Amino acid sequence: MSEDVHRLGTLRSTVQQTILGPSGRVVARALTPIDRALQPGANHFNRLFGRYVGDVTGLQLGVLLVSLVALVAAPAWAPLLAGNYMRTLTLACIWAIFAMGWDIQSGYTGYISFGHSVLSAAAGYTTALLVVNVSPDLGLVVTIPMSILAALVVGLLIGLPSLRLSGPYFSLVTFVSVLLFYRLTIGFSETLGGENGFQAVEVFTWDFTVRYYYMLVPMLLIAVALTFVARSNVGMVLVAIRENERAVAAAGLNPTKFKLWSFALSSITMGIGGVLLAHFGGNVDPATFVVVDRSIEMIAMAVIGGMSSVLGPIGGAFLFVLLRDEVLRLWFGHSTRWLVLWFLVLLVLVFARNGLFRWFWHTVGSIGGDRE
Amino acid sequence: MLESILSILITGAMISALYALIAIGFTMIFGVGGVLNLAHGALIMAGAYAFMVLNREIVWESVALPQIVVFPLAVGIVAVLSYGLYVGLVRHIEDNPVITFLATVVLATAVTEIAIATFGDQPYSYTVISGSIGLAGTAVSYNDLAGFVVSWIAIGVLWYYITQTDGGRSILAASMSERGARLTGVDLHSVQTRTWLIAGVLAGVAGVFLGGNQAATPLMWLNPLALAFIIVVIGGIGSIKGSIVAAYLIGYTETLTVSVLGQSFRGILSLIILLGVLFLLPQGLYGREFVHE
Repeated sequence: MSEDVHRLGTLRSTVQQTILGPSGRVVARALTPIDRALQPGANHFNRLFGRYVGDVTGLQLGVLLVSLVALVAAPAWAPLLAGNYMRTLTLACIWAIFAMGWDIQSGYTGYISFGHSVLSAAAGYTTALLVVNVSPDLGLVVTIPMSILAALVVGLLIGLPSLRLSGPYFSLVTFVSVLLFYRLTIGFSETLGGENGFQAVEVFTWDFTVRYYYMLVPMLLIAVALTFVARSNVGMVLVAIRENERAVAAAGLNPTKFKLWSFALSSITMGIGGVLLAHFGGNVDPATFVVVDRSIEMIAMAVIGGMSSVLGPIGGAFLFVLLRDEVLRLWFGHSTRWLVLWFLVLLVLVFARNGLFRWFWHTVGSIGGDRE
Repeated sequence: MLESILSILITGAMISALYALIAIGFTMIFGVGGVLNLAHGALIMAGAYAFMVLNREIVWESVALPQIVVFPLAVGIVAVLSYGLYVGLVRHIEDNPVITFLATVVLATAVTEIAIATFGDQPYSYTVISGSIGLAGTAVSYNDLAGFVVSWIAIGVLWYYITQTDGGRSILAASMSERGARLTGVDLHSVQTRTWLIAGVLAGVAGVFLGGNQAATPLMWLNPLALAFIIVVIGGIGSIKGSIVAAYLIGYTETLTVSVLGQSFRGILSLIILLGVLFLLPQGLYGREFVHE
């Protein structure tokens, strides 16, 4: 067993030495001047926000700014590409929220949840039920907070009993909670709409550009908020729980309390995402919200991007959704694309455990040599 | 009244026997390697599809293989797939439980897509042995009856192997304490190989009969996997005895729910029992404490 791993390691190091290393150095040399030029900006940024969101290097700041501009300016360049990129990017924003929501709980604490689609579903179904059963004229001011609250309540209902359990038991229970929710939608089909769900939720707007900004802005705000939390002491405790829960308990902190906090934070994020998804297409049904595949997808996004970071899941979500809805659909047909996609995810899981975007971020950060 | 009770007793026993097979394979893999194999359901599905393909003469148009040949062949295929899963994927990542979780669940999802791409998403129904027999006023298909009998034969053989032979006892030893087993000269690699093959055989048998009972569909991995979860958690992760007891508990609960409340409530009561057990007995009925060395 160790032989195989060893052989794999030699292969990897050969590739690294002969191909990746030299070409990487060439790119690094070309990028170093840009890094230098941006360094004053980065210093300024670090002085202002470094304490809250972490320090960046010049090039990292550049990458952040370029992606931000690309995202904000998407309506300008997306129509030039063949395909329905505006819709895909909008969807990617929502899924990035889900991936971040999953990650702040599972990625940081190491308690892998397979049940996060239940939380977004709780929000989506609450919106739909309010609109259908109470009154279609309820404003967003009422439905959105109620839905997020519902996600939080469901999250606590799942989290309170299950977070006392150790690793595998927790994952199993969350997995089962998805199936339970799905069974309930079928079992109580008169109230919960059954297999077809509800189509009554009002879509924010049919203008693709405006709808895109409706999703992008919450995503960016959540990203900033979660980065702030992750970089605070709370985030550090969460990572410590993942690394050694007993040590956290020995330090006089109650791990269950922190796990519950991360679950609550995650539920709120999932609730916001669920509301957005409900208002994205107007339909709330088990296939869009509940089924296990949805949970697995958000996990896959977070993992290929890089678990326990905030930018990783965003990158992973955009990569995943773009591959799924545009690139792979173009190359392979409707059904084969899933196969290819899952195979790619599997490759990342086995060969780049820490995620693509985390690797990218640190590589960019190391260009220009050590500082201080 | 009496008749319906008898009917529940008989149907429940049939289905519980298959559940026990599923759960034993799942729990053995966890016990020995500490691996939660979420692709276990995919192996069950592979059993159903393998049997269906061999049986339907799709491969060799004119040659109709008799069931008695097809059955061991399908089970063998699943055993090989199970071993391939271990050698090809799990062995490289088993040091990290989180990655193992995710990789096996992603694999299961990919297998669904393979099944859809190859066979389409319509269900294929088949029977292992056609016909049915009246038992105390309840019609029991030979398929289910055969599943029940084969299940108990398999459990009996496994019990003998685990408790009476050196090869089996080394599996038991490895699941109790990996370090201890290593110290007493147990070849862990061979233990792993045998465990995955046994789990594959059990999954294959369960898959063939489960598919015969319902039908082979691309999403049929999900329910058995969930059942395996529930049963294993109730019985205690790693305990074979617990799996058998819990399988019957869940099997009867499901049968009762379906006959009293209706098909759409299938499973809901089992999930509630699961929550209850987790609250009162977090280690399950016969579970050892989950310890990492």
